[in-house]
Amino acid sequence: MSVESIAEKVRSGGRVDRAEALTLYADAPTLLLGQLADAIRARKHPAGVVTYIIDRNVNYTNVCVARCAFCAFYRPVGSDEGYVLGFDELFQKIDETLAVGGVQVLLQGGHNPDLPLEWYEDLFRAIKARYPDFKLHALSPPELLHLSRLSQQPVPVVVRRLVDAGLDSVPGGGAEILVDRARRLLNCESKATADEWISVMRTVHQAGLRSTATMMYGSVERPDERVEHLYRLRELQDETGGFTAFITWSYQPTNTELGGVEATGVEYLRTLALSRIVLDNFDNLQASWVTQGGKVGQLSLAYGANDMGSIMIEENVVRAAGAAYCMDEAEIVRNIEDAGFVPKRRTMAYDILGDPLFRERDIPRRTELAVARAAGDTAVPAELSRYPARSRPGKQQRDAVTES
Amino acid sequence: MSEDVTPVVQKLVDGLQLSEADWARLIGSSDLIALGMAADAVRRRRHDDRVTFVQVLEVPVDGEQLEGPIPKQTGEVRVTGCPASHATAVAAVRAVVAHAGAVPVTGFAFADLDAVSGHDRNRLGTLLGDLRAAGLAQLGEVSAEGLRDPDGALAVLRSSGVTAARVTLGTATGDVALSLIRQVASWEGVGQVCRCLAPLPRVGPSPPSTGYADLRQVALARLLVDNIESIQVDWSRYGPKLAQVALTFGADDVDAVPVAGGENQGWRRSPGEEIRRNITGAGFTPVPRDGRFEALDVDPGSERRAGH
Ligand code: SF4
Repeated sequence: MSVESIAEKVRSGGRVDRAEALTLYADAPTLLLGQLADAIRARKHPAGVVTYIIDRNVNYTNVCVARCAFCAFYRPVGSDEGYVLGFDELFQKIDETLAVGGVQVLLQGGHNPDLPLEWYEDLFRAIKARYPDFKLHALSPPELLHLSRLSQQPVPVVVRRLVDAGLDSVPGGGAEILVDRARRLLNCESKATADEWISVMRTVHQAGLRSTATMMYGSVERPDERVEHLYRLRELQDETGGFTAFITWSYQPTNTELGGVEATGVEYLRTLALSRIVLDNFDNLQASWVTQGGKVGQLSLAYGANDMGSIMIEENVVRAAGAAYCMDEAEIVRNIEDAGFVPKRRTMAYDILGDPLFRERDIPRRTELAVARAAGDTAVPAELSRYPARSRPGKQQRDAVTES
Repeated sequence: MSEDVTPVVQKLVDGLQLSEADWARLIGSSDLIALGMAADAVRRRRHDDRVTFVQVLEVPVDGEQLEGPIPKQTGEVRVTGCPASHATAVAAVRAVVAHAGAVPVTGFAFADLDAVSGHDRNRLGTLLGDLRAAGLAQLGEVSAEGLRDPDGALAVLRSSGVTAARVTLGTATGDVALSLIRQVASWEGVGQVCRCLAPLPRVGPSPPSTGYADLRQVALARLLVDNIESIQVDWSRYGPKLAQVALTFGADDVDAVPVAGGENQGWRRSPGEEIRRNITGAGFTPVPRDGRFEALDVDPGSERRAGH
């Protein structure tokens, strides 16, 4: 099929198959992809509303045994630079988030063998006890799988226990590219194969939780694998309807073992537009201004995105890999309005919360994102001594905390 | 949302004349993609799928002089900053030209030279002539912002035999920029003395312009200004991502690609490879050029050194 005939099919609301998606991605002019994606965005969001959420992206630990080749964030077990945030530190971050109108925390971290399932349960319960209405959007599928392996409990049991402790929804991280050839090259197949990622997400949806879905493109995958990734998500969404939104971002190579170069801005816009075309059963697509910067982030709104994602407040993972863009609520709203859209605050489930908060109350401007821990802060939280460590360095650290 | 401008864009794609009403609809449209498609159609008729770029070595007019060989990928040596006097401007160009060898030397803003000449057109003409005699290949820029007598400015350039690399819009954005773009479009004969229009603000406005505003400005520049050959974006000022996307909105020339790397600005390979990758990734064919806008022969074995 020619590009024009596929484009006509998209215009008339038809579903494109894998081969057609690949043809569009390879051969369609960038502006045509944008036009098709924008028309879908306008069909799904005819009022011209562009949403965003005020929340905080907290990484509770950077200690990880998965060692993904594309990750600049993790530290191996025993590293001097490894950290685990204490409950009090997390409470303080939540207080700061509430102060700027935040409604949830996005909690993700490394696969730390010294944090058992009980640590997560206690943390979630403690957060919910202090902040009953505050939402916990936490633990991507590979983290849930890691906890399943660590606790020797099936994934549905792990999910149920965490939901009982306060888990509200699940972020779609760790998907990278849902094709095992690419996952092997990225050294992330062992943390979760493509089928395992999909299976954990199915379990999450079956447990009644909503989740997001993601794709990290531009590392080792081929275009057909990028397309395959989108179809794995589309098929699961057909089955469960559990995804609220899709976010794609480019691999950030700085400081990673894999290295290489970052995909270009045009490639981002093409990938985003293709995602909008293929994922016809997803209501929402987020812009990745954190990796693309404010300008291309805003341009996402012309290429299929209807959401500016999170105000974020804090970011550690992308920063470690070389990107450190920051936009506070006022700046995100300025970009939305400048593009001709109506800004609205939302929840993770895309329920509208209201108009921009900074117009209702005084919120200090913020020019840079916070970090999980100040550089060189190696404090070990006291409550860690309550939980058994699995690694030798972890056991030694616990013993030291107990003795002091 | 504004009315559908697809029929107007189709006219441009088909090479048909637009009516006044068509132009008004197009310029008033908030459909960024449609604007981009219209600008792309116009730029492809002029330049097909070619995107030229130049790697620039900058030398401050009052800073340290060049030392060592000029890197072989250098397409232009640019004297930057405002000269203190007629004599320092000429001396700086002479010194840089002596070192740059065959690489064209450019530099200076028209407004700065006008000020150095006491806003006296005769003295300015003499200065331009002296700079040309010293080896200046092109004047760096003529800013449309604040230019009181464009006809006079173009006349003095013509009479002194000096061409300018680009017309800029200074710091203008939004409606002010659109008004300047229209003015430039009415400058008679500007294309004979100015090769490019660089429509994005030279100094970052505060708050910074948005991606939408920037691309709209690039597209409108290509659509409205048909008396200047090229629409230029600046790789160093706006960064690789925006500069690359601008190529799909009507720009056909990339200025200020550094000669050496600059990891803090997002380049992760040599700038020459990076610009080629970006141009190709945007669907165009990269063509390296020099400071006279002449395509460079990119024989990797050829070494261009000082004095050659
Ligand atoms: S991406 Fe996540 S799982 Fe992989 S090494 Fe980094 S922290 Fe660990």
